[in-house]
Amino acid sequence: MVDQLFFNPIYIIGIGLAAAFFLGFFHRGTLAPRIIMVAVTAAFTIISLAWMQAFLLQGQTAEHGQAAAQVFTAGFQPPFSINLRMGAEEAFLTLLINISGLLGGIYLLDTLKKMGSHAVSVFIILIMGMNGIIMTRDIFNLFVFMEIVSIAVAGLIVLQKETNSLAAGFKYMIAAGIISVFLLLGIILAYAVGGSLNIDFLTAADLPGAKAGMIALFFLVIALLLELKPFPANGWALDVYDAAPAGVSAILAAAGSAAAYYALVKILPLGSSSHYTLVAAAGAVTFLGSNLLGLKQHRGRRLLGYSSVGQVGLLLIILGFSEVLGAQRDYIAAGIILSHSLAKAILFWLAGMLKQDGLEAWAALRKKPILLILFGSAVFALVGFPPFPSFFAKWELILLLNGGRFYLWSAVILGASFLEAVYLFRWFGYALKMDNEKLAEPEAPLFRLLPPIVFGILLYGAGWYMGSILEGFANFSYIPLAFILFLALIDRLPAWIKNTVSIAGVTFYIIDLYPRLEGDLLRLIFAGIFLIGAVLTLLSGYYYKGRRAGFYPLALTMFAGLAVLIEAANLLEFFYGWELMTIGSYFLLIRGKKSMPHGYSYMLFSVGGSFAMLFGFSLAAAGAGSIAMSALTGVTVLPMLAYSLMLVGFLTKTASVGLHIWLPGAHGEAVADIHFMASAILLKAGVFGLITVLLGMGAEASYTGPILFVLGWIGALSALLGNISASFQESAKRLLAWSSIGQLGYIVFGLATMSHLGWLIAISYSVTHFLYKGILFLVIGGIALKLGTPYMYKMGGLIKRMPFSFLAVLIAIITLSGVPPLVGFAAKWITYNLIISEGIYYQGFIVLISGIVAFLYLFRMIYTMFLGQLKDNLRTVREINIWFLIPVYLLLAAIMVLSFFPNMLLRPVGEMLSGYFPDGAIAWTGTLGTTRLGYYDGGAIMYVIGGIFVAALLFFFSLRKRTQQVKQFNIFYSGEAPSRPELSHFSYNFFAHYQKAIGVLTLPLVTNFWNWLSGILHGTADFFRRIYTGNGQTYAYHLVLYIVVVFFLQRGGM
Amino acid sequence: MSSFGSVPVKILYALLSIFIVMNIGLLLQGVTRKIYARVSKRIGIRFYQPYIDLVKNYFLRDLVSHGVMFYLGPIFRLTSGVGMILFIPLIYGSPVFSNFSFSGDAVLVLYFMFFGTLGMALGSGESGQPYSAIGVARGLAQVTAAEIPLILSFLAVFIQYQTLSISTIVGAQQGGFMHWTMITNPLATATALLAFLGSMMRSPFDVVLAPQEIPIGPPTEYHGAFLGILQTNRAIFPIAKTILYVNLFFGGAGNWFEFIIKAFLLYMWSVVVGTVFPRYRVDHSIRWFLKVPLALGLLSIIFLQIG
Repeated sequence: MVDQLFFNPIYIIGIGLAAAFFLGFFHRGTLAPRIIMVAVTAAFTIISLAWMQAFLLQGQTAEHGQAAAQVFTAGFQPPFSINLRMGAEEAFLTLLINISGLLGGIYLLDTLKKMGSHAVSVFIILIMGMNGIIMTRDIFNLFVFMEIVSIAVAGLIVLQKETNSLAAGFKYMIAAGIISVFLLLGIILAYAVGGSLNIDFLTAADLPGAKAGMIALFFLVIALLLELKPFPANGWALDVYDAAPAGVSAILAAAGSAAAYYALVKILPLGSSSHYTLVAAAGAVTFLGSNLLGLKQHRGRRLLGYSSVGQVGLLLIILGFSEVLGAQRDYIAAGIILSHSLAKAILFWLAGMLKQDGLEAWAALRKKPILLILFGSAVFALVGFPPFPSFFAKWELILLLNGGRFYLWSAVILGASFLEAVYLFRWFGYALKMDNEKLAEPEAPLFRLLPPIVFGILLYGAGWYMGSILEGFANFSYIPLAFILFLALIDRLPAWIKNTVSIAGVTFYIIDLYPRLEGDLLRLIFAGIFLIGAVLTLLSGYYYKGRRAGFYPLALTMFAGLAVLIEAANLLEFFYGWELMTIGSYFLLIRGKKSMPHGYSYMLFSVGGSFAMLFGFSLAAAGAGSIAMSALTGVTVLPMLAYSLMLVGFLTKTASVGLHIWLPGAHGEAVADIHFMASAILLKAGVFGLITVLLGMGAEASYTGPILFVLGWIGALSALLGNISASFQESAKRLLAWSSIGQLGYIVFGLATMSHLGWLIAISYSVTHFLYKGILFLVIGGIALKLGTPYMYKMGGLIKRMPFSFLAVLIAIITLSGVPPLVGFAAKWITYNLIISEGIYYQGFIVLISGIVAFLYLFRMIYTMFLGQLKDNLRTVREINIWFLIPVYLLLAAIMVLSFFPNMLLRPVGEMLSGYFPDGAIAWTGTLGTTRLGYYDGGAIMYVIGGIFVAALLFFFSLRKRTQQVKQFNIFYSGEAPSRPELSHFSYNFFAHYQKAIGVLTLPLVTNFWNWLSGILHGTADFFRRIYTGNGQTYAYHLVLYIVVVFFLQRGGM
Repeated sequence: MSSFGSVPVKILYALLSIFIVMNIGLLLQGVTRKIYARVSKRIGIRFYQPYIDLVKNYFLRDLVSHGVMFYLGPIFRLTSGVGMILFIPLIYGSPVFSNFSFSGDAVLVLYFMFFGTLGMALGSGESGQPYSAIGVARGLAQVTAAEIPLILSFLAVFIQYQTLSISTIVGAQQGGFMHWTMITNPLATATALLAFLGSMMRSPFDVVLAPQEIPIGPPTEYHGAFLGILQTNRAIFPIAKTILYVNLFFGGAGNWFEFIIKAFLLYMWSVVVGTVFPRYRVDHSIRWFLKVPLALGLLSIIFLQIG
């Protein structure tokens, strides 16, 4: 129990008023007022904290244990007195407000010093007023507290004494005045009808029953709604966010929105369901509209204003759907409020530390890495990534909305969230990558640094807490994340130590994981790709000399995400792992020098994909009534849409045609070992997802036909276009990136056939692609790193300098091209069997042709890099780093083993697949595989070809020729000796004739499509942005018009 | 297969097969050059001139090498030609002349073709000779288009007989020429014949070697015994390709006589076309393959599906 003597909530009001009053006696500029302010807000915080911990700890849930306390002023019962309530919700919100007040006050210490002791009392009154709004149960009292807050806000703006803040303050007063008029009208009418001002009494009075009651309710609701700054009647509010001191904007965004939201929460139960609908609709318009308009914003603080307004819109939707969300409403709202308030406060506080307000200027944050970390955390929290509270809130929200069949609403929510992600990640990309040399270092003395750091920690803590109380996530193991935290803490150590620690961590995880996966070959294979891949990439990480700041926590975040995918017990955990992986991979991909636009487009496709996936998952869960992985089997609610969305989500990661445009840039600019992670390993996560979904979908239902048909074509066309485009690249890394698109196309094609052989191809490709692409990425990446350029025409003749690299690349490309005797041929052979036995001739034909096209880029790559003429500046270059070669040769050994014994891979995978697709399996006799159509003996082929090769070689030796090595320029050249290698190294625009013949296929139609779409969105945003004229009169007109329009819409609805 | 004895015996028969095929190939080369000469009103070489060239090249004393890969290039090439011969059942019904075809079916043969191409491309690439690289670039570009009718016609055959095994396909065509694929599936055969032109390195699709233009393309730097190896392969390899087509479309060969006749006639198809038509540029030949051959190939499969 909470001791009412010490922690009585009315003390908040009392102390606040008293302190504000007495502050008038102090002189300007002394320290005492500010000390008092901190002490007062600290006292508020302690009171809220005491209640909060009572609600949290004593009963674990709010309903049990500590009962909500009612405080009655002057000892009278309502309606003759005003009463305050302190329940779980009030405790939570006042705590949030008071902590914001405390930390915000500390942040504002020097601003308030300039503004004087009046400003300090206004500040205390502001916080007190917000507490009052939360706690009061009396509508007139609510009005009073809202007026107090309005005046305090205006005061804080105006006291800044700058022209634009004066204007903003004035506009704010106009708006607040209009709102007050309607609120007051509503209160008067409500009192006339209900006979009381107390909310609980009014609830009993049934206001909607009377006509005047309806009007009262309309005025009350619309006034409170306007207080929440709905789009488009919110120009005045945006100016406030813009013009107020950053610290004040932080409190307005963090605490003010929460208070206004709760006012509406209290009033809304007085009304009928139509009022809930009204609130939800206003919220949806706001969330979508203000995030759309945010697209065109170029200044940080104004953009934060848009985002804040948007988030409040989301809260309104949640409130409007109270009935649907039921008991989970408060959980969802709390998640959104926590993320929004904490993150927004952090962002405003950061804005206050910067000298310039343009989005590009945020690159200055890089000069203080801790600020960048805070910025990143806030951005990811706002978009709804794990481990932040909004992730869980969004999950529950979409799940419940779709469970109640409100598909359009959840689509609007996800669409608007996506728009928010668009501008937030563009902005974050600027901060990560823009040139910051000319920018001043952010001003971050300790008192300004402390508040955002505390909020940052709270943000993570809140995320953990929200997860732990959510059913379906309570059993999640946080050990890998704790390990990542540990890596973040030791980030100051040299890279090799962190590398060793990381390898040890992953190895330990593998050993720990293996027994749990034994017998489940599918998961085992993908776990192997993900985690053995992790060890191999980390092994190559030893090449790096220095600190490699931030690399290890993020790389391990990606691998942790992948591991979660493997082990996920339900859809929520799966989604959590997916998003975790996305975060880690985003940071890895954006590390490249020119990666800003590519990391950005990667993120957008990832976010879009994961929202599609979330929608699909929620439909699946709605049908199955649970979020277990088994919900993916036989989805009953809109199955075609559900499966399509899930597949689209995963296809963004496999970079299939249409969704592929992020990959060439993102992979092509990535550093060597990151390129390996991104391509050989990360893309397989998409494959794993596709497999998971397709296993659930099956091929029996009627809707699967079109889905699989489209999927198959997507795969085949990805294969063709990926391979053709790869042939036209000048950069070796981009060439490999396009090649990955092609290779993943084969896998998607294989999966789409839903047959034994198709899946055999997909899974064996997943493994072999990992092997040979791993080799190629490490070697090519290592060379690009060594020579400082990925452009192939700048290389040539490297076989003489890097024989080990050449051999590895040679083996890899033979495998990739599918030429016997190496293991790549197995896939080609199975493809032919598949095409004929399943009758998929046309897609299959495209896939086969793609395989031939692959020769083009493979030869181009190995020739222009390793063969031809060695350049003068490369004559002394040495073999690539040994730490690249070690994993390369491990992968090479695996290829050779599989080439001799293809059955080692294909047979167990086939046996496993027979469980799903019994027909058409390959029969194995030793290394001889037989199908209904043909046969193939990997071992025999190896021996026969090896035998012929050795015999031919021996025959040639037996001729006993004197062989003379000649110099580089000693070639047939019309009797001349070429003087420069550049002249006779045929490499630039290698397939010019091919481009002339079929280059039309590589026109960037898909890129153009997405650019067109983005142009439309930005154009729309720019058009509607003009409603914000900056004129106070216009804004007043907006408010009145909003009321009129809503009134008529509401009438029409009734 | 067990009836046909131990590994040494197999190797002896393999050598015999190669010997026969090589002789057929060399003779055909001589005859072809004679025909070319007569068409252009020259007297031409003696028909056994390829033998003389071969012997001369093998007996040249010195070799100039540009590096390991350059040295191994011709070996790869020869391995590919010999391997093709040994993976294709040459004489229908004869276990001994089916050699090593137990290792894999038609798909193996199709992909093993590239083994030599790749090795040769790499070997000539190491020489640093720009003409070699240009030749390879042309060849690769053209092959992606020439493979279109090839894959389509082969797919049509595989679909028609529902097997990938070459000997099964030949078996199904026995019993008179009315059973040949040529008759039962004329569209596929027509497509295949067009594809055949693309793979025989003759005009109008000889832009890879393009004599006079880029000296002789990929093999420009090869000479002496290296060239000897390449010439050996050039005798074997076209016969291997030819006999593959004979097996799939023209009923295979029941004995060596039939083998020679059919190989000769099919071989002459590319020779006749080659003497008549001038050389295509790469982009032209690619577009050419994307028109009639592609359409024919697709038709042949559509007909199989609806028939």
